[in-house]
Amino acid sequence: MRKRTDLWKMVSIVILSAILVAGCSQGESASETAPASVLKDGKYDPPLTITIAKQQDENAGKYINGETLNDNVLTRWGEQNLGIQIQTTLLGGDASQYNTKLRLALTGSEKLPDVLPVYDTMLVNDLIESGQVKEITEDISTYMPDRLKEIYKQYPTTFNPVVRDGKVYGMAIAPNLTEGEVMLIRQDWLDQLNMKAPTTIEEFEQVIAAFTNEDPDGNGKKDTYGFTFSGKDSYNTGWVSDPVMIFSAYTGKRLPRQWHNDNGKLTYGSVADGNKEALAKLRDWYAKGYLNKELATQGAWDALSDFTEGKAGIIIGRPWLYDSVKDVEKNVEGAKISAYPTIKGVNGDKTYQSAQLNDGVFMFNKDFQNMEAFFLYYDKMYDAAFSTGDFKYGYAQGYDYDIVNNEVTFDPTKFNTPLEAVQGVGKMAFTKNTPSVDGPGQSYYYLANGVKADTGVLIQSASKDQTTQDGYRISYENRDILLPNAFNGPPTPTMQNVWEQLTTMEQETFTKIIYGNEPLEAFDTFVKQWHEKGGDTVIEEVNEWYNQASETDVMTLMNLK
Amino acid sequence: MYHKTTGYRVFSYFNYAFMILAGLACFLPLLHLLAQSLSSKAAISGNMVSFWPVGFNVDAYVKTFNNSNFNGAMLTSITRTVLGTTISMFILTCAGYALSKEFRGRNVLMWFFIFTMLFSGGLIPSYILITALGLKDTIWALVLPGAFGAYNLILLVNFFKTIPKALEEAAFIDGASFFVILSKIYLPLSLPGIATVSLFIMVGHWNSWFDGILYMSDASKYPLASFLQTVVVQSNMQSMAMSQSEVAAMSEQSIKAAQIFVSTLPIILVYPFLQRYFVKGIVLGAVKE
Repeated sequence: MRKRTDLWKMVSIVILSAILVAGCSQGESASETAPASVLKDGKYDPPLTITIAKQQDENAGKYINGETLNDNVLTRWGEQNLGIQIQTTLLGGDASQYNTKLRLALTGSEKLPDVLPVYDTMLVNDLIESGQVKEITEDISTYMPDRLKEIYKQYPTTFNPVVRDGKVYGMAIAPNLTEGEVMLIRQDWLDQLNMKAPTTIEEFEQVIAAFTNEDPDGNGKKDTYGFTFSGKDSYNTGWVSDPVMIFSAYTGKRLPRQWHNDNGKLTYGSVADGNKEALAKLRDWYAKGYLNKELATQGAWDALSDFTEGKAGIIIGRPWLYDSVKDVEKNVEGAKISAYPTIKGVNGDKTYQSAQLNDGVFMFNKDFQNMEAFFLYYDKMYDAAFSTGDFKYGYAQGYDYDIVNNEVTFDPTKFNTPLEAVQGVGKMAFTKNTPSVDGPGQSYYYLANGVKADTGVLIQSASKDQTTQDGYRISYENRDILLPNAFNGPPTPTMQNVWEQLTTMEQETFTKIIYGNEPLEAFDTFVKQWHEKGGDTVIEEVNEWYNQASETDVMTLMNLK
Repeated sequence: MYHKTTGYRVFSYFNYAFMILAGLACFLPLLHLLAQSLSSKAAISGNMVSFWPVGFNVDAYVKTFNNSNFNGAMLTSITRTVLGTTISMFILTCAGYALSKEFRGRNVLMWFFIFTMLFSGGLIPSYILITALGLKDTIWALVLPGAFGAYNLILLVNFFKTIPKALEEAAFIDGASFFVILSKIYLPLSLPGIATVSLFIMVGHWNSWFDGILYMSDASKYPLASFLQTVVVQSNMQSMAMSQSEVAAMSEQSIKAAQIFVSTLPIILVYPFLQRYFVKGIVLGAVKE
């Protein structure tokens, strides 16, 4: 008995002292007074520092000339020309680690960086709730340069996730419509079989049937098939190895896994009529061997290896996908890839795809007082997109472009000091990608129409492979098929509970139907269950969110009308 | 003569076949990795490499060793492993020796240690603690938090307990102090236990990646496991929003393979030398009388 009382005494002493220690450490308060920086001739004096958070794979690609994250050609440029020093104080590799680190920083154990790029809608929501991010309605109205205002005016929906009670807590990172997907086809196979690129679902079926049965590679073996895509994560990957075209052929604008704005009411694409017909088609094709046998286990990036190996004839993806699959032209003699627009739907309309308007949002520490400086810097980053100012051609000569014999070149192997790969701005600035105003490929469209390549953007576009250029031109000509997801808010309460199950059910049902493990009628059962098991509530909540997000006219408040 | 019966022979054929399969299951992935690291990019992206390199070249290794980040990470990992193992073993042997004796409050102390084995404060308190102590961005953030592991302590304590008391008493009579007894008698006698626990700690340090990513805000300070995590695992690219430069870096499967291969080598090399103590170390340490 004696022993036991001893133990409790000790435990209570430990707990008490722990509380005392924890209580004391809160006492200190940060009271630093920064010397007032004054903006004079477009430069801050004395220089001011903006701390940023960054989600970046530091080990992909490398710095050149011994530079580092916080000391490189771009940070030095900022210091010398603007008197603004950019310093990364929070770095996370992939999305989940980055989000974890942001959440940990929210605990108050360290100072939150001034500028926070956030890529997760749930975290956006939590940041707003935490009260630690700045309301920037006024700042946008006052400080945002006109050039940027023009851009943000075009994309009002990108503000939806960051508006709360009519106040704006962030802004999209470099809003710009992404490029659309194109169909990459083995041109040599088409030629061998005397066929044309398909434009309708019937023609598509004929082509993939021929690719499977008529030995397009002429090796006397039946070792090829028509169409490779990924069905591992969803039937709407949105970027590479995407089968969404087949669904859209029957469902129009209601794409699987996506919310569509149908005259002010948001609907969910996976449960739309038409999916059944699409699944029936895919099921038939799968049975006949026209499709990738392992489509349900291969992720978007794996599904393309059959194409690269010379086994599959058609793959769909963003125009730059050509870069990743062109190895087939090395692996297989005589192989040639061409880019074509996606097919038309059964009603003669085009097929649609999901698109993105932005990659994450900027949020700001509530104590950040230098929004004007941020905008000054951010606006300069756009110089490259507009081919003006310091970044007329690119960000730094010898890094992402070079001038050789008075010619601007974007081919790193031809630089004065040849490089293996260009060093993109992503490693040096606070945006992952160079801000762009090129949309789904405007510059390529201009080039194809004979415009002379005289600006940085045009020269860069002209330096790409011909097939890639064709792809971007097609993407721009068909830019009306790009549909951004109408729902870009945080997961609703019901979603947090049931969404995982609903999407799993969806994925399993679709896959089983295609594989022929379940009858086609399983789709009807799925739709019924989807609505019953929480789908109806989710639809309600999503629409509620949508109405609320578009309730206050924040665009006017921000002077963006 | 039981081993001449049919039943026994069938059993032993099955046994051999099973062991060979199990061995291959462990060995083939490594071989595949090696083949990939020596193959050309085109062949890999076409999924044409299995166990023999296609388009043989050693570029991937040249690039790996020319990458200052890789070399830095390797150095960090080695420093961390050596430093971490030394510190841990020092604390563990001292604590283990003391706790293998009978003294007042011993059980309470033991109870405290075991408590940490069952419950932990979780990520946020640990993070706040490390940040508040100013350990962030230093190697100490990787070495200190895990320096004292209750599981390893129990192994060592039980190991020390198996050493006859009479030995210690004899040493006392000859005038030895506690430290002399620990270093001259206990440590040499419990070499299997020490080796086993050291290996646990070493492998733990070598493979641990999350703390590196968590506590370092500069990727050049990442240990090797964190480095590989960012290069290999993250590029699975679940998210469709990634930068073009990341897409470009993606396809370099041969470099990833080379980096993984190089990074597993040190532990593969250390293993055979410590492995022979393993069975003895764990069994002796675990069995109580």
